[in-house]
Amino acid sequence: MSSSELRDYLQNYDGPEIRIMEVCGTHTHEIFRQGIRNFLSPKINLISGPGCPVCVTPASYIDEAIYLALEKNVTITSFGDLIRVPGTSSSLQKARAEGAKVKVVYSPIDGEKYAKEHPDEQVVFLSVGFETTTPSDVIAVRNAIRDGIGNFSILTANKTMPGAYEAMADSTDCYLYPGHVHAIIGTGICKDLQKRGVSGVIAGFTGEELLTALAIAVRKHSEGGPFYVNAYPRVVTDEGSPAAVKLVDEFTRPCDAMWRGIGMIPGSGVELKEEYSSYDARKKFDIPVLEKEYKTACRCGDVLQGKIRPTGCPLFGKACNPDHPVGACMVSDEGACSAFYTYGGSL
Amino acid sequence: MSDCITLAHGSGGRKTNELIAGLFKKHLGNSYFTADDAAVLPRPEGKIAMSTDGFIVSPWKYPGGNIGRLSVCGTVNDLACMGAKPLYLTCSYVIEEGLPISDLEEIAKAMGETAREAGVHIVAGDTKVAGKGQVDKIFITTAGVGVIEDGIETSGRLARPGDSIIVTGDVGRHGTAILLSRDEYGIEADVTSDCAPLWHPVSKALEVCPGMHVIRDATRGGVGTVLYEIAAEADVGIKVRRQDIPVADEVRGVTGLLGLEPLYLACEGRMVMMCPSDKAQAVVDVLSGCKYTEGAKIIGEVTEDNKGKVVMVTEVGGMTFLPQPGNELLPRIC
Amino acid sequence: MCVGLSAKVISVKDGVAMIDASGAKREISAELLDDLEPGDFVMVHAGCAIAKITDTDSSESEKLSKEHLS
Repeated sequence: MSSSELRDYLQNYDGPEIRIMEVCGTHTHEIFRQGIRNFLSPKINLISGPGCPVCVTPASYIDEAIYLALEKNVTITSFGDLIRVPGTSSSLQKARAEGAKVKVVYSPIDGEKYAKEHPDEQVVFLSVGFETTTPSDVIAVRNAIRDGIGNFSILTANKTMPGAYEAMADSTDCYLYPGHVHAIIGTGICKDLQKRGVSGVIAGFTGEELLTALAIAVRKHSEGGPFYVNAYPRVVTDEGSPAAVKLVDEFTRPCDAMWRGIGMIPGSGVELKEEYSSYDARKKFDIPVLEKEYKTACRCGDVLQGKIRPTGCPLFGKACNPDHPVGACMVSDEGACSAFYTYGGSL
Repeated sequence: MSDCITLAHGSGGRKTNELIAGLFKKHLGNSYFTADDAAVLPRPEGKIAMSTDGFIVSPWKYPGGNIGRLSVCGTVNDLACMGAKPLYLTCSYVIEEGLPISDLEEIAKAMGETAREAGVHIVAGDTKVAGKGQVDKIFITTAGVGVIEDGIETSGRLARPGDSIIVTGDVGRHGTAILLSRDEYGIEADVTSDCAPLWHPVSKALEVCPGMHVIRDATRGGVGTVLYEIAAEADVGIKVRRQDIPVADEVRGVTGLLGLEPLYLACEGRMVMMCPSDKAQAVVDVLSGCKYTEGAKIIGEVTEDNKGKVVMVTEVGGMTFLPQPGNELLPRIC
Repeated sequence: MCVGLSAKVISVKDGVAMIDASGAKREISAELLDDLEPGDFVMVHAGCAIAKITDTDSSESEKLSKEHLS
């Protein structure tokens, strides 16, 4: 079908109601950017799930980074996404204005390179992300070991998806699986979930790919029964990238992880193995436990779980907006609240 | 002449005069250029437009231009936006101590060449030298006067529902060229700044469409910011089609890697025009034949509804609001 | 968490590939994929090639539509 035929199909769908959770923040962003929500049939309800790593990263993580920058005089290297994220009382953007050295990089591998070129600075990379990004973080650590670099380490908040799939399964009729996560880990988990009654479609990221994946989800749902379709086979193979999985396994181990708004998901975090602890910034700099989550009326957690829409939060668009984000969902472009605020309103 | 700018060059004494006579006069000189306290100029006929703009850019030179060319184009284009033929410019330099004189010469040379190209006279200037670290190499402020032809009235307030929206070329090139020059992200691409003086194409567009409503140059905030400004000033909606917005392949590649929106990257040689729709094609045709505006295109319309907003018609035929500009542009990877 | 861009591989050496995304060139890690060769198309994320690309989105959509939506 052409884009316009797919659009007509999704617009005129009149079968059983369906809740589709896009797990990936990049999907959320593209769905808004393409204006897809605005023509979907009212029978199709999209839920923006927990797949924005910035959103599910606890505020205390930002506090740790600011502590390193201001108290330990560390040069922070980071993806641009984290710069405006609020910690409990400040952000890296504000810390930078106070003199913290914060450098935005394109890749963790560039963070390691920067450390190599600046041997007189301690350099920490803020390692957030899912399975798609973790291999880059691990390569950066591996390069540091290879290059004999002693002034580079990473502050891990990496997470893995399968635990979240389990935790959120009741909130949706069908997952839109994040294509690039499965490009790394393969499709085994999706098939297992199907066997346990959880449906999903692996989706790509262009407008046409998203429409195709949504149309397939809707059609399969109307036919009944748990289903799984890889609607992104040009990138996602069943085996994924064994080299990436091997690399990550070699350097890291699973740990329990706090997901902002969702809570603890056992085994859903990633940390460096004990033998690489000199590259683990938390251990290297002996960061004190900074776990005072601030209390507000922010309902990011309910948004992430699809219990309410961003507009259902009392702070949305008032106390909380992209210039003054309260919850992390408002900070990242991928955050459900930011996307609603930016692209929302009615057309 | 010594090799570097020193504080003595800003003292107003012998060294300053050396600089004016040996360097500025050589490149910027014309019959109106004065060493007196003010330039004395013939009075133009008609309404005049006047504008000023400060220029700081790091690095000071980049593929396709430098701060000298930029400082002339910026003010010339501001005047052109009001339908004013640029006549005179003044320029004021704040130079960091230690700047190589050869760099200053390169900047002055570009200013002179660009001024001649734009048909404008640089008539007066000022030079100050700041201590090391007080400014980043060089800051330039230019001010300009132009004359508006009878019957021409352009303003952001004048956009009317039904107007066609034209952009005079591909967007985001200047911002991308600067980003690449800073070499922060390890990306290489053949992107040159779009920085150019646009009075000539603007005058041609006004010849075929004297009833032009809006001309606005898309500078640091990019075309997206200009569209939002006009939507607010005229209290209208703006609808543009993503597929019609020209973006160079290389710019698409760079912004794709970094997760940036080309509509928010700076342009220094691109105008957004809004005119009655029956004249739009004629404007595009005449712009297509002019240097620097060969890539002109109609990208959308002014609407009655969605006042104050910019609506994007997307590749898959959806409609969405273009995100409001405002925040620091940060590469987005996750 | 998945901003990706398709790019063409220009060269590969010692686990590092030079890629070209519509004229934007950059070195990225090629370690996650076996047998990467010049001319291959890859999906690039955060400085790594995370997957080979074997088709265009339009042609893939067409095949998927035929299989699942007709």
